[in-house]
This record gives sequence, structure tokens and C-alpha cells, in this order.
Amino acid sequence: MTVRRSNDGTLVLEGVCPVEEAEPLLQMLQATPAAVVDWTDCRKLHTAVLQVILASGTAPIGPCGDHWVAEWVTPKLLQTRPGD
Amino acid sequence: MSALQEQFVSEARELIRQAADDLIALERAGASPERIDRVFRSFHTLKGSAGVVELPAMSIMLHAAEDLLASVKQAAVGVSADIIDSSLACLDQVSRWVDDFEASGALPARAGEEGRAMADRLRSFLPAGQEPQTKLHTQNSAPGGSEAALPEWVSHLLEDERDAMASRMPTHPLAASAICYEPIAGCFYNGDDPLQLMRQVPNLLAFRVEPREPFPPVPDLDPYACNLRLLAISAADRDEIAGIFRLVPDQVRITNLSPNALPTTLALANNNRTLIEAVIEAQCELLRVSNRKDDFAGCVGAAARTAANALRHGDYPQLADKVQRGGGMALAQHDTGVLLAALQQALVALRNARSTVIVDDINGPGGTAANTPERPADRVLRVSETRIDALVNLVGELVVAKNALAHSAKRVDQALGGQEIAGSIQRDYDAIDRLVIELHSTILQLRMMPVAQVFRSFPRLVRDVSQQLDKNVALMTRGGTTEADKTIVDRLFEPLVHLVRNAVDHGIESSEQRRLAGKPETATISIEAFRLGDRFLVEVTDDGRGIDPAVVRRKASEKHLLPTDELNALTDENVIDLVFDAGFSTAAEVSDISGRGIGMDVVRTAVEQIGGRVSLETKAGVGTAVRLDLPLTIAMSRIMVVETSGQLFGISMDAVSETVRVAPDRISQIKNNDGFVLHDRIVPIVSLAELMKLPEQVKEATAARLFVVIEAAGRMAAFEIDAIRDRLDVVLKPMQGLLAGARGYAGTTLLGNGQVLLVLDVKEILP
Repeated sequence: MTVRRSNDGTLVLEGVCPVEEAEPLLQMLQATPAAVVDWTDCRKLHTAVLQVILASGTAPIGPCGDHWVAEWVTPKLLQTRPGD
Repeated sequence: MSALQEQFVSEARELIRQAADDLIALERAGASPERIDRVFRSFHTLKGSAGVVELPAMSIMLHAAEDLLASVKQAAVGVSADIIDSSLACLDQVSRWVDDFEASGALPARAGEEGRAMADRLRSFLPAGQEPQTKLHTQNSAPGGSEAALPEWVSHLLEDERDAMASRMPTHPLAASAICYEPIAGCFYNGDDPLQLMRQVPNLLAFRVEPREPFPPVPDLDPYACNLRLLAISAADRDEIAGIFRLVPDQVRITNLSPNALPTTLALANNNRTLIEAVIEAQCELLRVSNRKDDFAGCVGAAARTAANALRHGDYPQLADKVQRGGGMALAQHDTGVLLAALQQALVALRNARSTVIVDDINGPGGTAANTPERPADRVLRVSETRIDALVNLVGELVVAKNALAHSAKRVDQALGGQEIAGSIQRDYDAIDRLVIELHSTILQLRMMPVAQVFRSFPRLVRDVSQQLDKNVALMTRGGTTEADKTIVDRLFEPLVHLVRNAVDHGIESSEQRRLAGKPETATISIEAFRLGDRFLVEVTDDGRGIDPAVVRRKASEKHLLPTDELNALTDENVIDLVFDAGFSTAAEVSDISGRGIGMDVVRTAVEQIGGRVSLETKAGVGTAVRLDLPLTIAMSRIMVVETSGQLFGISMDAVSETVRVAPDRISQIKNNDGFVLHDRIVPIVSLAELMKLPEQVKEATAARLFVVIEAAGRMAAFEIDAIRDRLDVVLKPMQGLLAGARGYAGTTLLGNGQVLLVLDVKEILP
């Protein structure tokens, strides 16, 4: 599992997060919409997983462990966060 | 509001001030290329910030202003008062919107219209036929002129990402391309990972990912339907990029950009560096020539701050940190040389950066920063006022608790005869006392801020008012680095506005009159702040016509401010003071600017509210000087409000040891005074009503009586009162005027309902 719920309810993305992880992540977010996503240990993020994060409007605990995402995507993510 | 938006609000305000200052400097001091560039930079950064928080109306307007300033910069348009006016009006609009944005998180509904109207007004100054600058770029960049202009998405991307691109720009980009990649919904099933393709794009300058259609609510989201648009700008040529996207040619649009489409960014990056270098060099120069021993910390602090801010502004945070550390060390070692070395190093790094553009770090050859063990940086922390105030309150309570400890020490000594323990408690008390006093003053220091922040608004004010009245006025401000408590600095603004407006409106003569009087046509108003002991003084001086005592006398008599005989008895000096009276105005006619008969009155009230005094000196034909004498800090006193015979009095909480109700049978006559026993001590009773010469209320003989037990100057007494009304933190004002000599009062304060409360000086009234 590279997407898991930690003891304190944080949704942790670890290592390589391939396309298959999009659905479990979405289910967890549907179950607990307020859950915090921690992607600091994610080494590589698939577009589908990123889309779930973007669509849910959550602001993950940063920086993203995937350096390319951290450099190019993260600031934009903060801007598109709804509800602010 | 998100952290990003909060940051935008505070930065935008700073930038607006900066831009306004620069515009006024531009007008007053002439249009040198450096000044124009500075104004341009301010607007440019402001526009960038507006883009980040997505306020298109603001961006449109600022974009137009930036285009106008770019033409000024290229000398296509000369600087005129109209251009300055419109640019200032644009800043005013931005400022209003920033307020709206802070209050409601959005711009008002008609912002779009207003923004476009302002943009049109600004563009009307552009020479006919000249296209806005950015459009020029997009046209230049169309390959072979086959397209009239770039697609809108490219312009937007270029525009929005301009700042980000500037920092990533290679020195000589040979090519540039814009990529718009819209993966089909089912792309994930095909095994595509759109991000993976983007990761392969070489020389990426800007990237953005956005939903093609607004995302549905989370429960309805299909995680495997791609709904994204990926936009990017790269300094690679079209063919190279097309190779990466060869499997999805139907989903991607690649537009060739001429590298010239990006020149401003690179030019700006270089310009930016030139500016930063100039700023740092100026600081070095200042440090070298400054031999002010009295304000060493101020000079070093200001130089380090200015240089670091410039570096941070230019996106060299590491250099900025090093400079700031250098400043901290210079302060600690009391040696400007340390900061000078750090500044020189930053200059070297900046100059090296010309060839490499991106600076990661610097460690100049043999530089001191590399050899000196690093100390924690002397960084500035932004802390909200409420948190500081919470600390101030806590320390206040600590002071009260500390006072109780002294009381306990005495009780141990007296009640138990435990001299040894009492002595040890007393020593502890002394230590805590010292620490608390130090803590208190350190925390109050946190609230100190330079008065320059208030001064900054005045060049603009003087400009607008003098223009409106067609007068020539130069403003000089001095002592901007003088620090005082934030509350005082904040509250200084209003009285200063009145004073400066009054000076321009009433004090300064028309150019014609000045010429006839043999004075320079341009009048001077100066605002100067300085410290005198523990007082903070601000003087507003003008070289205008001065105030004629005869006119004041006539006005006062017309307005029946005083009975005629009293008025006649006043000396000329005292007559002048009448201008501070409510309802007095020397202007022959009420004008738009001031002179509604409230100005000077408001000044006096505002200044007195913060425990200050106003005085005025004037000489007919020579000018007027108004001096505001203010405390450096607002000394808050904690008081208890008590009532006796229907009158309220304040008693400092420091003097109160406790309040007790005592049954009449516990009260006995001791010698020729009533008293009672409390904690094994005899406490004499003092009737506050009697002490204050008030008629005593008749009380039921059996009712318990209420006392405030006072301990001051080693004596103890119980003040009999009717009721305790309140406990308050107040600013104590010393007794003034006729009451200045009245004994027994520590001062007065205003209650919430406007009533004046007399605060007793218990030391003096204890019999």
C-alpha cells in the first residue's frame, strides 16, 4: 500500500504512487473529507492521484516528496484550493 | 483567508505605499531613468501579486499602468502631472480593492468595470497607434507573421508566469515554445501519465495544471476520468517538444514563441540586479560615512534591513539572510566592518550572478561569512498585535502577583515572627521584581515602531492638498527612525493630518503673496520627530504667514469663546492658544481642506487621549510651529473604580492590598479613630467621603461596611467606600491647567462613557 491512513487519521502517500492509488485515496477522502493528506514521503506522483488531490480541494502537508511536483505544481495547488 | 491571501494583502499595501512614494519622488525630483524604473518595478510586482491571488480586475488595471510606465521608460511618453495623477488614482483604486479583498475575500461586483475604465484612462496617455507592450511581444513572437497574435492561453500564461520565468530564464534562450496538453478523459486507461510527459520537457520555464471543467463534488468524482489541462512554457524548440508528445499529437498544441517574446523578463532580471547592487552600494557608502555614535544600532539595523529587503525582493533569499546575519553580528560586536564585509560579499555574488543568472549560494573566496561560525540570524518576525498585547497583559498580571508576594513576606514576618523565612521571601521577591521589570520593559519594546511609517503618507497628502489649492509646498520629514509605542505612532496619524492640512491651507500663503513678502515661492513644511528624555516629540513647522493674535482675538470675540473682559486680559501668547478651542477656525471661509472649525480642537483631543500635550509657537510673517509632546510608551495603569457619596474615584491597584466587608461590631474606636483588626493588624478607617469633603451618606448602623485596604509608603489604611464599580486598565493623564497644582490626585482618565475619572494619589492622601 502506498496510500494509507495513519493512526491519527492523516492520509499518507508514500513512495511511488501509481495510477491505481487514485481510487483508494478518493475513497478515503470521501469517508473523511476533512482528513489531512501528507505527501512529503511520496517519491513519485501519478497524474490521476494528483487529480484526486486537486479535485478534493485539500491542501496536502508539503512540500511534496516528488521534487518535480513540489517545484511545479504545489504553489498552483494552493491557489486553486476552494473554500478560501 | 489563506496564508497566501493574507500575505498578498500585507505585501500589496507595502507595494502600494512604495509605488506612491516613488511616483511622488518622480514628480518632485524629476524623471531619472532609475526613478522611472523603480516606479515600473513597483507596479510590476504589484501586478504579479494580483495575478497570484487571481484578481483579474486588478491585473487588467495594473497591466495598463505598467504599459504606460513602460512607454515612459522608453521615453515614448513624457512624465506629466496627469500621468502621475492617474497612476496615483490607479493605486488608490488598488488600495480600496485590497481593503475589500481583506474584508470579504473578493473584489466588489463592479470591479471589472472600474478596472477597465481605469485601464482605458491610463492607456489614453499612450501615443496613438502604440499597442500595449505585452501585445507587442505576442506579435513579435508570431512565427513568420503567419499568425496575427498568440492564442489567448499563451498570452495569459506568459503574463501570469512572468515573474516565475524571470528567475528560471537561461541567459540566451535560443528558442521558446508554449505547450497546451489536454489529455483525453480515458487517457489513464491507455496507460498515460500526463505529468510524466511534462517531466520530460527540457528547459521548463513555467507550468500550470488546471481542471478543464470545474471538478464535481468529491462523492461524484470519477478518479479515472482525466479532466486536466496542462500548460507549460519551455525554452526548447518546437520539434524537440513534439518528439516527447509524439504519441498524443491530437491532445497537444505546441506554439512556437520567438525567444524575443521573453525579453522583458530577462531584461528585468538584469535590471533588477543593477538596482539591487545600487541599493547595497548606497548602504555601504552610508555605513562608511556615518559616524553617528548615538544611533549605531539604528544605522546598522537600517542598512542591513534595506539591503536584505532589496535582495529578497530580487529573489535572492540566501544572500538576504547572509546580509541580515552580518547586520546582527555587526550589532553584537559593535563593528560596522562586519556588515560592510557581508554587503561586499553580496555584491560580489550578485556580479557573478550576471553570467549565471541563478544564484544558489555564495561563499566568496576567503569571505568572512564562510569562516565565521554562523550565528542564528537576526530575523524579523511578523507577530500580530493581539499576541503582543496578550503578553503585555500577562506581564501586567505578573506585576500584580509579584506585589502580592511582597505583602506575604511582610505577613510572614509579622504574623509568624519568621524573620528568616520572611527574609528569604523578600530576597526572592527582589529577584522576581527585577526580572518582571526587565520583562515588562522588553515586552513594551516589542511594541516600539519607527514613526517613518506614519510619515510616509504625508508627501502624497501635501502634494494633493497643495495642488488643489494651487500652492507650492515642499515637505521635509526628519527623524523617521525615532521609535515609539505602536499605539502612539498609530494615533499620531490623525492629528498630524489635521496639522499638515491646516499648515497648507491656512499657514502657507499663495505664491503671489509669498513673492510680495520676499519669501521663496516654494513654501516648506517640515515634520520632525525626536526623543527628549522619556518624551517623544513631533513638530510640524511651516514657513507661512504665522497666526496673527489680533485676528484670533477678533474671531474669539465674534464667536463668544470668552467674555470680553477675560479676552482682553489675555496676553497675545495665551490668545493664540484659543485656536485649540472647540469651534474655533481662523480661516475666513470654510474650505474643503480644513477649517471646519474642528481641526485644531481634534488635534488637542487626540493628543491628550494618548497622554500628550500640544503647544504652538507662531510669529506673524515667519511661520508656525506646533509641537506634540507625547509619551514614548503608553503607560497602562490598572485601577479600581470605587464610589463614595455618589462620586467615582480611581485607586491604583498597586496600592490596593484587599477589599473587605466588616460587620459593625468588629469596628472599635482606637485612640480617637475608628479601626478594625485584619490579619492581626490594626487597620485605621478613613472615610473617603470625608477625605474628599463630600457629604457622608447616612448608613444603617447594623449593615456591614465596605473597605478598600490600602498599603502605600509603608502605611496602611482602610478607605470606607459605598461600592466597587470596576477594575480597568487605563492610560493615566497628568493633571493639567488649573488642576495641575491640585494635590491628592495621580491624574485623570476618561471612562468608557466619556466621564472624567479622578484617580487618587493614595500616598499623598493617606493621613
